[in-house]
Amino acid sequence: MTSLLRIQPPVFPVEKVVIPEAKSIRLRNGVPVYLIEAGTEEIMRIEFTFRAGQIMEHLPLLASTTNMMLSEGSQKYKSEEINRLFDYYGVFFNLSAERDRAGVILYLLNKHVGKVLELSREMIFAPVFPEAELNSLMKKRLRWYLVNREKVQNLASDNFMESVFGKNHPYGHQATEHDFEKMIPGILSDFHTEHYTPDNMAIIVSGKIHEDTAGLLDFYFGDINGKQINVKDSAGLPEGEPIRKVHINKPGTVQSAIRIGSSTINKRHPDYPGLKILDTLLGGFFSSRLMKNIREDKGYTYGISSSVTSLDISGYKVIATEVSKKNCRKTIDEIYREIRLLQTVPVEKVELDIVRNYISGEMIRMFDGPFSLAESFKSTWEFGLDNNYYYRLAEKIKTIEPDEIIELAQTYYNIDKLYEITAGA
Amino acid sequence: MVNFSRFTLDNGLRVLVHEDKSTPLVAMNILYDVGSKDEDPGMTGLAHLFEHLMFGGSVNIPEYDIPLQMAGGENNAFTNNDITNYFITIPSGNIETAFWLESDRMLELDFSQKSLDTQKNVVIEEFKQRYLNQPYGDAILLLRPLAYKVHPYRWPTIGMDISHIENTDLEQVKEFFFSHYAPNNAIMTLTGNITYDVAIKLSNKWFGPIEKRKIRYRNLPEEKAQNERRFLETDRDVPVTALYKVWHIGPRNSHDFHTLDLITDLLAGGESGRLYNKLVREKRLFSEINTYITSDIDPGLIILQGKLMRGVKIEKAEEYVNEVIRSLEKINGIVDEMKKVKNKFEASTVFSNTSILNKASNLAFNELLGNPDLINQEVEAYRKVTREMVIEATRRYFVESNCSTLYYKSTHKDKE
Repeated sequence: MTSLLRIQPPVFPVEKVVIPEAKSIRLRNGVPVYLIEAGTEEIMRIEFTFRAGQIMEHLPLLASTTNMMLSEGSQKYKSEEINRLFDYYGVFFNLSAERDRAGVILYLLNKHVGKVLELSREMIFAPVFPEAELNSLMKKRLRWYLVNREKVQNLASDNFMESVFGKNHPYGHQATEHDFEKMIPGILSDFHTEHYTPDNMAIIVSGKIHEDTAGLLDFYFGDINGKQINVKDSAGLPEGEPIRKVHINKPGTVQSAIRIGSSTINKRHPDYPGLKILDTLLGGFFSSRLMKNIREDKGYTYGISSSVTSLDISGYKVIATEVSKKNCRKTIDEIYREIRLLQTVPVEKVELDIVRNYISGEMIRMFDGPFSLAESFKSTWEFGLDNNYYYRLAEKIKTIEPDEIIELAQTYYNIDKLYEITAGA
Repeated sequence: MVNFSRFTLDNGLRVLVHEDKSTPLVAMNILYDVGSKDEDPGMTGLAHLFEHLMFGGSVNIPEYDIPLQMAGGENNAFTNNDITNYFITIPSGNIETAFWLESDRMLELDFSQKSLDTQKNVVIEEFKQRYLNQPYGDAILLLRPLAYKVHPYRWPTIGMDISHIENTDLEQVKEFFFSHYAPNNAIMTLTGNITYDVAIKLSNKWFGPIEKRKIRYRNLPEEKAQNERRFLETDRDVPVTALYKVWHIGPRNSHDFHTLDLITDLLAGGESGRLYNKLVREKRLFSEINTYITSDIDPGLIILQGKLMRGVKIEKAEEYVNEVIRSLEKINGIVDEMKKVKNKFEASTVFSNTSILNKASNLAFNELLGNPDLINQEVEAYRKVTREMVIEATRRYFVESNCSTLYYKSTHKDKE
């Protein structure tokens, strides 16, 4: 009975994505709050975000350590109590320190919102950076660091960031064993006072938002007044290291890690949507050129990908993979070959259509549910952009032509300017 | 509450549907009741290698990914000891594309030597990347055969040895397909923006014509109760020494499962767990420590793993671990902690059920366990655990004669 004509069903163009607008309000002290109503469950995601990421640090580890110490004790609560109480109320919280921003993300059941906000206020605005907890954290971080130094992926990635953004720029500087001793309470406390301030803060709320949520946020966070400190970005524009090819020798490893890329434009640049599409074609999804060639045709690797990342004062693109040592050179040559092809041969309509439809589907996923919506909102808001960025991207997906792809590949993937970092035996 | 309807096609395919209108997407999850436990001991890793081959094209569709991406869909899959699970999310308007693709590869794969050769290489690289080229990556490869002597859980899903993957041939692959991939050995769940009627109609249209197949009879050797301490020590070029301990537990459906789940949460549920508080925060013996139960269908394991701080003697660290576990037998103070982990369990269930993909895979797995409504009963079952049950289970399972211990020692010199 298997003779049914198995004809492919018609495929409908992915519908235009509708992005709910965030409602914007301000607390008494001027802190902006963005409310995104979504979802069916009685839950919320609340993010407190500060411009307190790596870009503001003058020592490696400073931004992340300050952030990680927020839950290690406040004026009212000891470390164990903060963790126990959050667990008791069923809260999941992430402390996150990225290249530009740092903060706290809470996932909570609405029924506990008041108690959770009270605790968050303590954690974010009244941390005491106790020395014993700090020493213990730094010992742990040093252990993690040493374990990571054993992994070729980490060796290659760290060196890549250092090469692309420079040893002395906060985007590029890497910690050494010695840096772990430099984290002392006074330095963290100063960093906190300077950067975790109301005028440096925004709150992003998504989920099932009740009428009283804004009032509660104002009650717990509207009266906080930080010292007015004029914070300047400590860092200037990053500048890459002069040596573009680096091999880190790691004897005894069975695979080598490869990182190839360079600094690039960020979301504010008009070419960025086009670059995103080019990047997807090259290595951004399962049917990308690199995956088809290096994994699906040659079987050199379990995975290969390329990505573009926006940073506040720069951006970068990177191709990343791990392969057997014997295939390392061949893989690098194939990567360059794929880039050259994109620079010279127009992409076929069929292939471009696959990419168009794939990204359109991705865009639907980016705005599905309260958690994704908040992340998508933040990732334009932090660049001073709004939903128009996504509408421009959607438009570019529809209209981009093969010629434009060639032009973008020539402009942004100049092989002479790419860094090539390998780590392995 | 996850509402669902259930029906079975004439060929034995079980279909479960949960409608959620708040999303523009549909998730389709297809669970095949075959995992690495169904492999022959001389040919391990085949179930997982096969999962890779499922993306190499089927009898009427030369490429799997392209049409899916054209329809705005995304997919992935995983294999474990018990099951092989494939899932898609796709805009609801294009859900029929998912039916077309999945039914065609259930019908028959396009078995090609080229695809097999490539995927063997890919899987070998995966083996290296995840298990050989990672510090501590081979610990699980050492632990399984220590804990299991006869049951196929003694090898990991990736395979016992790279040579097993290298030696697989096309005939073995075909045989594996026809003896495990069939409507009567699968469960399909559809969650998200799809109605029950559409689901029935499309299931009948696309999966209905696939005939039943004879499934290889599963006759797994039963693991005998362990009755003495097992121990292994190994030296590795890693920065710090690690301690691993595993204890045997009952099958996924046994009445103790939630009690043991709760116990591991008391011990290691986040930074307020007892092991973390005592051994990381207070005594500073470990830089990290974790414990959890496997959700294996056949009798599984409690796994405990911790990385020691430099200069700490592993014997001493192990003694303290045992002491923390023993502390569960004391009734004092445990009530509040139990309430805490119960609240946390409830919250994590609510968060997990915000995702149509999680709902789809949980429903399918619970159907396989014999009761899809477990998805709605789990919080209650967990809440019902009493402190007497905790004490009883701690005494019963956490004994040395039921335990396998691995000292994974660093060869680096202590500097401190």
